[in-house]
This record gives sequence, C-alpha cells and structure tokens, in this order.
Amino acid sequence: MRHEEHEGRLATTNTKVTKGRTPRKLPPKLIGFRGVLPFVIFVAFVAIDVFVFSVAARAQNAPPPYTPPKLANGQPDIQGIWQVLDTAAWDLQDHGASLGVPAGRGVVVGNEIPYKPEALARKKENDAKRATLDPESKCYLSGVPRITFMPFPFQIVQQPDKVNILYEYNHTIRQIYMNGNPHPSGHIDWWMGDSRGRWEGNTLVVDSVDFGEETWFDRAGNYHSDELHVVERYTPITPYHMRYEVTIEDPKVFTRPWNMSAILYRRIDPNVELLEYECYAYQLEDQFTKK
Amino acid sequence: MNDRSNIGAAVLILLLPAVAGAQAIFNPKDWPEGKRGPGAHTWMAERAKLPSFTVPRTKDGQPDLQGRWGGTWSGDDIEEIPKFLDVTTPPWESWVSDPSDGKLPYQPWALAERVAHREGLGREVWSKDPTQHLYYDPQAFCMKSVPRYSQRGYELVQTADTVVMMLNWGHIYRIIPLDNAPRPSPAVRMWMGSARGHFEGDTLVIETTNLNGKMWLDSAGNFIGPNAKVTERIRLVSPNLLDYQATIEDPETFTRPFTLSAPQRRQGTGGGGANAARDPYAAESWEHACHEGNGEHEEQIKDLGFKWYLPPVPPRK
Repeated sequence: MRHEEHEGRLATTNTKVTKGRTPRKLPPKLIGFRGVLPFVIFVAFVAIDVFVFSVAARAQNAPPPYTPPKLANGQPDIQGIWQVLDTAAWDLQDHGASLGVPAGRGVVVGNEIPYKPEALARKKENDAKRATLDPESKCYLSGVPRITFMPFPFQIVQQPDKVNILYEYNHTIRQIYMNGNPHPSGHIDWWMGDSRGRWEGNTLVVDSVDFGEETWFDRAGNYHSDELHVVERYTPITPYHMRYEVTIEDPKVFTRPWNMSAILYRRIDPNVELLEYECYAYQLEDQFTKK
Repeated sequence: MNDRSNIGAAVLILLLPAVAGAQAIFNPKDWPEGKRGPGAHTWMAERAKLPSFTVPRTKDGQPDLQGRWGGTWSGDDIEEIPKFLDVTTPPWESWVSDPSDGKLPYQPWALAERVAHREGLGREVWSKDPTQHLYYDPQAFCMKSVPRYSQRGYELVQTADTVVMMLNWGHIYRIIPLDNAPRPSPAVRMWMGSARGHFEGDTLVIETTNLNGKMWLDSAGNFIGPNAKVTERIRLVSPNLLDYQATIEDPETFTRPFTLSAPQRRQGTGGGGANAARDPYAAESWEHACHEGNGEHEEQIKDLGFKWYLPPVPPRK
C-alpha cells in the first residue's frame, strides 16, 4: 500500500461554553443606555476567556479527537508505511549521546523500568557486553516491541480477520489474528510472540505472549523473560500520526507492569516504499568472504 | 541408489532442516519404472482441459486471487529430476514449459557455470574434502528470491493499490505496488528485487527487476543473473487452482527467454487439509524463524569448504 491521502478530518472543536465564571454583578447605575456597550464588551471578553481556557485545558489532557477513515468493513484504516522518529532503538530510557548514539528522551512513561534487583544487575551486564550479547549483533528477529522502534519503516496491511505488519528490517512479518481464536494453549517459544488483536474504538489493541528469552528491548541491554506479556495500542491521532502505547508485564524480571508511549509517523516521502535490510544475509556474506 | 549417494542425501537433509521440512515422502519401491512426477507439460495439458471459469472480483474490481496458496515445484532440479535423489525427491518432469524440451537455454559459458555449480555441490560423490566443494544452495541461508519464492506456499492479499504475498517459510514477503511507481535506481539490488504489478484481464502480471543474482533457481545449481527481468503471470483457472508462470529475460546468461509453468493449489483443499475442520488454527501462519536456528548448519557448510555464492560475471563479448 503506497501512501494515499486520507480524507480524515479533525473533529470540529466544540465551541459551546457550558460552564465558566459568572460575570460579577455591575452597579445598576452603569446600566443605562450609554452603559450597555461596555457591558457587552465585558461579557464578550469573559466568554472568550472561558472558551480559550476550556480549549487549553482540553489540549493539555488529550489531543482533539480524530476520526480515522474506515475500511469497507467498518474497521479504522491504519494502512500505510510508518516509522518511529525517536531513539528508543538505542535506549528505551532518557540517554545522552555517545559515538554513534544520538541522545534522546526515552519512551518509558516516568522513565523508570521497575527491574527486580537481580534483574537490574543482569540488565547492566547486558549493557556492558552488548557488542556480543545483543541479539541484534547476530541479526536475529527483534522481538516485540523492539521491532517497532528499529529505525526502519514498516507497512500495515489489513484484512478483516488479521492485521499484517511487514517490517523492512530482516523481512519480519507479524500477523495479528482477529479471527476469534485465543492464544494457542501451552507456552511456545517464538521470537515475535503470538499476537491477537481487537479494535477498541479507533485503537488497535494487540495482546502478545509466547515469547522466548532470547530477545531484548533495545541496544542498552533492557531485557525480558519468557513470561513476557505485551499489550500494544495503536491509536491514529491525525492522518499522519499514531500514538503507540505499550504495556509490559513480566513478573520474572519486573516488580510491576510498566508503560511506554511513543509516536508513529506516516512516511509520505515521494516514492517511499519498503526496500530491504537483510541483516543476516549481509553478515553471512561478510563471514564467508572475509579472508 | 548406491550407498554413497544415500549418505550424501542423508547429509544434505541434515544440513537443510529448514528447507526439507513438510515435504512429501516417496518410497522408491512403490515408484513405477520410468514414472515422472507431473511438471510443466503435464500441467499445461491439464490446464487446457479445464472448463471456462468466471473469476470472482474484489470490491475494487480486481480478479480476486486472495487466499493461501500451496507451492509450485519441489525445489530440486527445475529442468528435470532424472532419478530418485532421496525419498523427498523422486524423478520429476521439467518445470520449464518453454523451450518445449524443458531445458534452460543457457549460453555456453553459463551452462559451464551451472555444471560447475552442480559438481561443486558434491551430490553424486559425497566428500568431506573441502576442495571438492564450490557453492552450497544459497537458500540454505534462509533467503529467497524471485521466482524461487513461489516454490513455497504463500498467502496473497489484495488492497486497492497493492498485492501482498506472505510466505510462512522464513517470513519472506513481497509488496507489489499496482500503480507503476518509478522503480529505485539499478544501483539498488535486492534479494526479492523491485516488483511492479498490473492486471491484464484476469491475469496478475508482476515484473521484477533490481535482483541481486545471489539466489539460485533451485537446489541443483540452476541460476539467473542479477540483470534478469522476471515477468510472472498469475491467474485463477478454477476456484482452488492458480496458474503460475514466470518468464525470465536475461540475455547475459541465456540465448532466449524461457518460461516456468506450475499450478498452485488453495491450501486446505485436496490432500493434506483433513485436519483443517477440527483445528481452528489450521489456517493461521505461525512463525517460521529460520536464521535464528541455523548457526550450526552455517558453520558446517563453511567447514565443508563451501563458498558464498556470488553471481558469475558473464564473459566480455
């Protein structure tokens, strides 16, 4: 699916002032024929003030509601090519720059990842030995949500009972089933997990389990166990942006569930399409051909 | 089948767990003398006898080719398998429909190259001597290309402006724009190439260029060059049967274009789908990680002296 202009629209801002400060009562002597104009101006200022205050308060709490275009089957249409612009591939948390690593604000809500003490030690060791321990160094499948944060585009293709996400990195596919089947029984070690989706309003909610222990969350050694449970929420907020929220649960590694929040950007560059990043093919060719 | 080729076949299977999975098993004792499995010519004869069929349309008015489709050929010698190689590889007709002799029309230099590829596989005289080996089948490294991807089954999905093919094998996919968007420069070389599609009547036509030439056509050393243009024609000829044709134009390597033809059957129909009614997950595509479990085999291939296959450079005219 190449980029198409979505005919989505920002919902009309509600301009009706429903509550606000009552204008203070003016002395009766001022309300003569000549006194009406100042009063009208005063009331108008109060109304504008209340309106501006109301809109500002709304903007602080939530973006204006956006209604995405719908597919023929009524599902929100989130198809297209998307990519993150943050630096979570390097580190999910706030981090300074170093050689080859751009500085960035993290995507972890509150910035703290609630590791158990022994798990935090393992995270630090992972980080110290990341050149050899990071599964990315072997070009393995990235896992979830790491694949989203890789600095490569991905394309969403919807079917009535399945959302497919095709990633340029390592030609990864996620097939998110919405066919009524629950997660299959028994633990299965999968690199990308087993994903089941549902729509909550305009939000695609994806519940994933059945992960192995081999994948990490980023290049800074943040990791999980095979008890990882990921819930992702993809919410279109403009024709060109989706809010991407992730809840991580893993009682083996973390003391409590924790959240990430990021933005996915629609790629609208001329001629944009997924190309290839065949990590392991390049690596194998290098290993086989180097003297 | 002598003992040495048995050992060779056993080692080949050992080296190719990801490739050899889910294939039919044939017992040489039950295989009639002179029998060939059905290839391109048998398929074309069957196709000619099919009653006319009105192809259903998608809501966008395209021929509806969507669904989960089984693969084409077995993966071994695309020209012909003259004798039993192992229990998964019985004698088989060529998949080449044109030229009619079923042979790939190699230029002399390219045929010599193909012969070298096959000898260097050590299939006939299996040896642990690394000097006996040249290249291993590039597919053993969990990669695919066009048209070899079609040898495995895939799910085909259509949107208004795109055809998507998703293989379970190795999570290989293709995204084929239908809007004739400008291709990347020839400097961009990709395993799966650059594909552009359009419909001609009921037929989906996909033209692929920008290949890298690093994948063989089969596991027996047949190859095309990086400048090949592959034109695939895919048509629904009955409710559960696709006609798949791939024409390859590669004047650097061949004396003329050639065409491969094969049927692709809708999965869950015919044989093998007996469990589908009972298993609600039968129509799901579960993860086939390939490279992640392949490290040991990659090391074995290296230890046996196999080199990384790079496309041969045609001689200067």
